[in-house]
Amino acid sequence: MADLFLPSVATIQDRRDETPDTRTYRLRFRDAAEHERFQFIPGQFLELSVFGLGEAPFCFASSPTRKQSIEVTVRRTGQLTDALHAMDAGDEVGLRGPCGNGFDLAAAAGHDLLFIAGGIGLPPLRGLIWNVLDTRERFGRVTILYGARTPADLVYKDELGVWQNRGDVELHTTVDRGDAGWAGNVGMVPILFDRAELRPANTLVYVCGPPIMITFVIQDLLARGFAAEQIISTLERMMQCGVGKCNHCCIGHRWVCRDGPVFTYRQIQEMVE
Amino acid sequence: MTVPQALVIRKADLGTWVDSLIGRTEVIGPTRGPRGDVLLATLSGARELLWDFTNALQPPKQFLLPQTEPLVQIRTARGHAQAESVADAHPQVLFNVRSCDVKGFAVLRRMHAQPPGDTAYLRRDEQTTLVCLTCPTPCPLGFCVCADAGPFLEEHFDLQLTAMDDAMFVEVGSAKGRALLEGQDRLFRPAAASEVARRAEIEAEARRRFGPVTCHFGSAMRRVSTGRVAQALWDAIADWCLECGGCNFICPTCYCFSVRDRREDGSWERCRVWDSCQYAAFTLEASGHNPRKRQGGRVRRRFFHKVSAQYYQKDGDVGCVGCGRCITVCLGTADMPAVVEALRKGEWHG
Repeated sequence: MADLFLPSVATIQDRRDETPDTRTYRLRFRDAAEHERFQFIPGQFLELSVFGLGEAPFCFASSPTRKQSIEVTVRRTGQLTDALHAMDAGDEVGLRGPCGNGFDLAAAAGHDLLFIAGGIGLPPLRGLIWNVLDTRERFGRVTILYGARTPADLVYKDELGVWQNRGDVELHTTVDRGDAGWAGNVGMVPILFDRAELRPANTLVYVCGPPIMITFVIQDLLARGFAAEQIISTLERMMQCGVGKCNHCCIGHRWVCRDGPVFTYRQIQEMVE
Repeated sequence: MTVPQALVIRKADLGTWVDSLIGRTEVIGPTRGPRGDVLLATLSGARELLWDFTNALQPPKQFLLPQTEPLVQIRTARGHAQAESVADAHPQVLFNVRSCDVKGFAVLRRMHAQPPGDTAYLRRDEQTTLVCLTCPTPCPLGFCVCADAGPFLEEHFDLQLTAMDDAMFVEVGSAKGRALLEGQDRLFRPAAASEVARRAEIEAEARRRFGPVTCHFGSAMRRVSTGRVAQALWDAIADWCLECGGCNFICPTCYCFSVRDRREDGSWERCRVWDSCQYAAFTLEASGHNPRKRQGGRVRRRFFHKVSAQYYQKDGDVGCVGCGRCITVCLGTADMPAVVEALRKGEWHG
């Protein structure tokens, strides 16, 4: 039986600033064979250790179709992420995982896919988006709606351009407040619904972002004819063990870390505590 | 020799048996503390072991789930980190554990064995032998009969002892229990049919003394599971909770934990430490968001985990063994029987 709490050592390859408080780290397991063996699916997460400070859960921001490194996008918001932001290429961290259920890619095959993200909610979807784009022929239309508070808060700015320029992706972005250099949409994410061509019949929707955004987006989606089963989101809770033991992340009798973090809106509605 | 499932040892020979066990393994059992309290401790001789007591102040869970348990050691050498599992499990016998506490271990085992198995816990569990001592008389605050946790057990023990006149009736529940009898042929003999009958009589008599069910879990379960308990009732109960976490720490079935890195001479130990769902920080996220900001939400969480049908279906039991320790430890009045009664009646008077 593998030891449940034992992390593997990984090395930071490089880091990239996304926003003033958010960075993306590229990681590789120190043991090359372990790196090759390691498998995950988008929507799962890993427990990242800063040795001496403990572990925190981060979603895979990269796709398993791109095996050269594992990427996590981290907002600086507490002790551990402060320490992580002080780390750079060559520094070592611990990785444990993958944890959680992940997105069901097989079930998504053949569907149109609508990704809706707010702010730091794009990283969990980015791994899925690249996985879909790398196996593009398996899926129908791909539409991405992404919003952030300001232009500076948009993550993966280069990639937004790449997606925009691909002929097989429809991308719309918006910001709550523009600035001098911003010529795009201004307003909350739901304003993008009227700019995109939505076809509820054969679409799966992946929603990720701050709770208030998710609430409004889901209301809109339901009003536009999407069913609760078609709306898929990832839940966040304070997590510690990541393997359904410590119970910090429970909602009712479900563990967000093990039964989730990916749930359909139908499942979320049925949660009782 | 094949050890039969039921044996008898003379009470006068118990000391010899226990001393021989102490000679070959760690034996932990109830003993009298300096001020008269019943404590669980490693025994250095059979004379320290209590046979006539109600129950220990604390449950024995700390011997399988230590308050602070190193799980991983992290060292740095020449700029590189090395992480290794810490495995310090060693054989131990927990002696004269009351039925409620043995049932508590059954709950903990089932939970830790659920895939993915909790290796640290299961390693300790494998090395632990549980000797249950049945209860002839009810303890003042216990309600084990309501939780199917006593005063006698039919499973979950390695050995079960029942005092019977000048002898002790011994039931073997597992190979680990049988191992405690190896090489002791002189002390034990197979139980006679009359003794088996006497043992049944003693249990029936004990069950009469323990009386009927007083803590109505089923009734509380119906309300909790469907979310039919008004938040105002939870808030009223929470008014009588001082958020000390005592009920969690004293509960034989509570196991929620946090993970912390502790500095140890140039290395770190990643430790599992007991935590309490009654603390506001239990669900506090780094962003500052807290889904259980109010104490009423946290009290509701505790009792949802303990008595909801959702958990009952998942775990096969309520998360209570009726030991009554939360009644003793609660600084307010938010103990299990009081809350179950409040849920059942839909009202709370503190």
